[in-house]
Amino acid sequence: MSEVTLEIDGKKVTAEEGTTILEAARCAGIEIPTLCYHRALSPYGGCRICTVEIFRGRRSRLVTSCVYPAEDGLVVNTKSDNVIRDRKVLIELMLAKAPKAKAIQDLAREYGIKETRFKTEDPDNLCILCGMCARVCEERVGVSAINFVGRGVERDVKTPYQGTVDIDFDVCIACGSCASICPTGAIKLEDITAKKPAPILSEFEMGLDSRAPIYIPFPQAIPNVATLDRSQCVHFATGKCRICEEICGADAINFEQEDEVIEIEVGTIIVATGYDQFDPSVIPQYGYRRYDNVITGLEFERLSCAAGPTEGKILLKDGRQPESVALVHCVGSRDQNYHEYCSRVCCMYALKYAHLAKELAGADVYQFYIDMRCFGEGYEEFYKRCSEEGVNFIRGKVAKVTDEAITDEEKGKLIVVSEDTLLGKMVRVPVDMVVLCSALEARSDAEDVAKLLTINRRADGFFLERHVKLDPVATPTDGVFIAGCCEAPRDIPDTVAQAEATAGKALSLISKGTVTLEAAISTIDESICHGCGRCEEICTFSAPKVADKDGKLVSSINEALCKGCGSCAVVCPTGAVSIRHFTQDEILAQVSALTEAK
Amino acid sequence: MPRLKSSAELEKLRQKILSKRDPDRPTIAICSGTGCHAYGSEKVNAALEKELKKQAPKGEVDIRRTGCHGFCEKGTLVVVYPDEICYVNVKPEDAAEVVRSAIDHKIIDRLLYVDPTTGKKVTHQSDIPFYKHQNQLIFGNNRQIDPKSIDDYISLGGYSALSKALFQMSPEEVMEEVKRAGLRGRGGGGFPTGRKWQTTRDAAGEPKYVIVNCDEGDPGAYMDRSITEGNPHCVIEGLAIGAYAIGSHEGFIYVRQEYPLAVDNLIIAIEQAEEHGLLGENILGSGFDFKVKLHRGAGAFVSGESSALMTAIEGKVGEPRPKYIHTSEKGVWDRPSCLNNVETWANVPLIISGGAMSYASIGTEGSKGTKIFSLVGKVNNTGLVEVPMGVTLRDIVYKIGGGIPGGKKFKAVQTGGPSGGCIPEQFLDSRVDFDELARLGSMMGSGGMIVMDEGTCMVDTARYFLEFLADESCGKCTPCREGIKQMLDILTDICAGRGIEADIELLEELSEVLRDTSLCALGGTAPNPVLTTLQYFRDEYEAHIKEKRCPAYVCKDLVAYYIDPAKCKACMICLRNCPADAISGGKDTIHVVDQGKCTKCGNCLDTCPARFNAVVKISGEPVPPPLADDERVLVRGKE
Repeated sequence: MSEVTLEIDGKKVTAEEGTTILEAARCAGIEIPTLCYHRALSPYGGCRICTVEIFRGRRSRLVTSCVYPAEDGLVVNTKSDNVIRDRKVLIELMLAKAPKAKAIQDLAREYGIKETRFKTEDPDNLCILCGMCARVCEERVGVSAINFVGRGVERDVKTPYQGTVDIDFDVCIACGSCASICPTGAIKLEDITAKKPAPILSEFEMGLDSRAPIYIPFPQAIPNVATLDRSQCVHFATGKCRICEEICGADAINFEQEDEVIEIEVGTIIVATGYDQFDPSVIPQYGYRRYDNVITGLEFERLSCAAGPTEGKILLKDGRQPESVALVHCVGSRDQNYHEYCSRVCCMYALKYAHLAKELAGADVYQFYIDMRCFGEGYEEFYKRCSEEGVNFIRGKVAKVTDEAITDEEKGKLIVVSEDTLLGKMVRVPVDMVVLCSALEARSDAEDVAKLLTINRRADGFFLERHVKLDPVATPTDGVFIAGCCEAPRDIPDTVAQAEATAGKALSLISKGTVTLEAAISTIDESICHGCGRCEEICTFSAPKVADKDGKLVSSINEALCKGCGSCAVVCPTGAVSIRHFTQDEILAQVSALTEAK
Repeated sequence: MPRLKSSAELEKLRQKILSKRDPDRPTIAICSGTGCHAYGSEKVNAALEKELKKQAPKGEVDIRRTGCHGFCEKGTLVVVYPDEICYVNVKPEDAAEVVRSAIDHKIIDRLLYVDPTTGKKVTHQSDIPFYKHQNQLIFGNNRQIDPKSIDDYISLGGYSALSKALFQMSPEEVMEEVKRAGLRGRGGGGFPTGRKWQTTRDAAGEPKYVIVNCDEGDPGAYMDRSITEGNPHCVIEGLAIGAYAIGSHEGFIYVRQEYPLAVDNLIIAIEQAEEHGLLGENILGSGFDFKVKLHRGAGAFVSGESSALMTAIEGKVGEPRPKYIHTSEKGVWDRPSCLNNVETWANVPLIISGGAMSYASIGTEGSKGTKIFSLVGKVNNTGLVEVPMGVTLRDIVYKIGGGIPGGKKFKAVQTGGPSGGCIPEQFLDSRVDFDELARLGSMMGSGGMIVMDEGTCMVDTARYFLEFLADESCGKCTPCREGIKQMLDILTDICAGRGIEADIELLEELSEVLRDTSLCALGGTAPNPVLTTLQYFRDEYEAHIKEKRCPAYVCKDLVAYYIDPAKCKACMICLRNCPADAISGGKDTIHVVDQGKCTKCGNCLDTCPARFNAVVKISGEPVPPPLADDERVLVRGKE
């Protein structure tokens, strides 16, 4: 692409051939006002506000800079007398067309226009017929749900045959692009479609905020790059858009990318698949998902985060600050009906939220606990501090959360009904916000992962370690290690320690360079084996595998995994499997030796 | 009909057609253009056919339904050959006599045209002053051609220009010839045609398109209609020659849907040309392929703008595109496209067969050849006139047009349609060509010429054109969509007596902005009617604003009808004819118009007997109060 050099307002500007005067000016920091221009859309040249005066030799012309190409040797004046005069009258005309539109009022103010000499037909009209809504819907969204209808002064923006026939031409996908690109707020989505826009809820923000189809999952994501959600991306829905690809200065976006299946041969696998938060909506009496202001611990975490959806302000769903907050321990944990185990981290994070609720919202805090498990470094001291800050601790299991008020004080609040075992009676505590300390539970796909890696799960759903006390990071399957909450609920310091332990174990395997195997392991006589697979089925260590070898199905033993337990030898119907050092002959020889007469 | 495979075969066919025609055989040519159609030419034709069956059952007399002859004031026109006897205002009842006269080579006196200046009857069509002062190079063939017959066209030498171009000239030579002839676009812009062809030829991209613009939208203009209705083949031939020069193999003819006869005749003509091997593949065996498609308009004036027309051909809404990208480089589907007006294409065969020099010998320095104008309005001989460039306005209006009817005074002539301007009396001797008219503040436009007399209000005229443009604006750009509407509002106010002093300045300011910033020529030239009327008839504006007076007595809100009690003879004619029952009075009571009920229809003025002449129009002054009842009694004395 060759370059052109032109002069804009006395300044020398270079630009790539094919750029418009407007784009070249903007790159050079010269602002030209526009109303119907958007860099994601093809130039329209409708509003004429961006008119500039161009000079070639002695001749001059007035052209719209958003469309006119930057030519070599062109001299441009964006503020000549003619331009200013014309622009002012155009603004006056727009002011008559849409007197309440803020964008026009701002322009008028900038050019010193106080009122318009022209007649206004509809003083409430906001539409200036810039066409950006129609163009974004056609060029980018690709459904053309709205477009211009009518000619001249009758021109308007509508859906096909809107209001004139009884057929529903509603192809709108309620993406809201038209409403968001409209410079004057004239477009109301409810005028175009009965469909309601469904925001894409951000997984990281616990559904408290929305995200775009292309997004960086969270600020410290590794790798810190964007990912494209194919199910929501407009390009994959309609074939159009691709704005992200055009805007990306690094040409990093590739719509043709497909999932790749890569096979890697490894000697060690570390499983660190984490946990899921228990969904309290299965406990209907706690009101989760029924009441707006009953939230889980992770949701409170996002509210209190300065980079979160509310910029660190603790807010109720209607935007107010809560005057009182209740924290409910052991939701789904220490509970016969759900999980019997203790989730270990909730007592401490509940204290943290109690402290934050006081600090950020100045709220009264009521903490409903069974025990306060403050076992770690500085934990007990923090508990004492919260108590001194005025957090109210109520020992008792919460029975229910309700909005049915009995007294005036309870009206408009959420009432936490609980037993207070120290007082020996039921209490009703009206609060604005209820935070449920939801249990940590095994991931929903833990079963699939376990099967894949032939590791086992405990009764509580988490992965089984080799020895609960003496080998907590290894699994019975050699070479597969587990770390973090996938093994059991634990807090951050413990998780980090365990991760280092797992890494150490894996490294020790790798650094040895060799693996010492059991000597007495299975071996298969391939001439006898006919690949029935019973050995593969019975082995708990996944050592035998049946595969095609030179056209024949035979089993083969992964010597690194085999423990020499002999189960496969027992079930083998043909006797193809035998244990080394325990062959028939060797056993018989031992028996012979034992029974030999002295 | 086997396809013609060579230039020689075309000639042979021509000779064959001519040999079958007996030049002495009587032929009745009846004008069947849309104008005469409105006069009832269909019925006249049916009557003639019936009479022919009766009186000339063996086919001794031919009948030819031709295209428009141009003298639309005098429809239905019937011309009897070989003596070229021209009959005007023919009715079905005259059919028998016409056929009789054709067979007997006699003349029907009462049906002849009477020259109003001499009072004498004129026998031959070419002697009629309307025709005599014209130079009908393009239009003249209409009289000889039945547009539904390609044979008629061929018999007159049709397609010989195409044959010459294909076999005796290279595309570059054809281009040079058109350039040297100095042909300029007849659609309004007056752009040098040869230059446009060259740009299209040089532009990168295939395929290249050639397009005929028959969207003729100017109110009062119907030249292109008459050409495409009456002689569609000359347009097709010109288009094919242009395609050859440019290197295009595909052409479009964009016809407005409001011209059904033109659509029909073009479809027939294209079919016939294809049948004869004059269109389609391997034309006349030359190896040159060219096919033509017809595209019908959807009812928008703006679609006549070249970039809007191309957008419409693409199937989209006809909206103009930014003009910095020339359509001759990026037109239909972003391919090089050469668009020219119907009349421009119709001039091309003439240039090729007659030569550039011969063509350039007609016209002025800057504008060569002839131009067809539609002469309408307050003029005696309304119709289509074809004159060489450089003829004066006076000659057109008076010599050909026959002057202003009713002995009224000439006021102005409006040229160029809604993009043009009004030219006052002092410039009547200006020579009509592209540059002269532009110098006067107007433009040639497509050729509309509206004559105005003292009874035309110039402010109302400006308002009329703005009303038209407000309706036809596509609405894309702010200055045109909003600006024209506001100008129209101001002018409507002025015509209604609500004008204020600042209005004229505001109109002038808006005009500048529209000129500078409009996206296309519709908005860009919209101020012209306002600006020219302001320039030459500012006093009328000021009368409307300052005195609330309409000097031409046209603007209804500023005009009152008043019965002069001194002249009223209480004959009750106006009273009975008033549709609003606004006149009170009796057999001996002087009539009075109730201004509250009066709808300004003008019936009273029209029906008051000429010898009384009691009804007058008043403007700019209060209506005198009616006489007291006893004073209204009419005493009839001896007259």
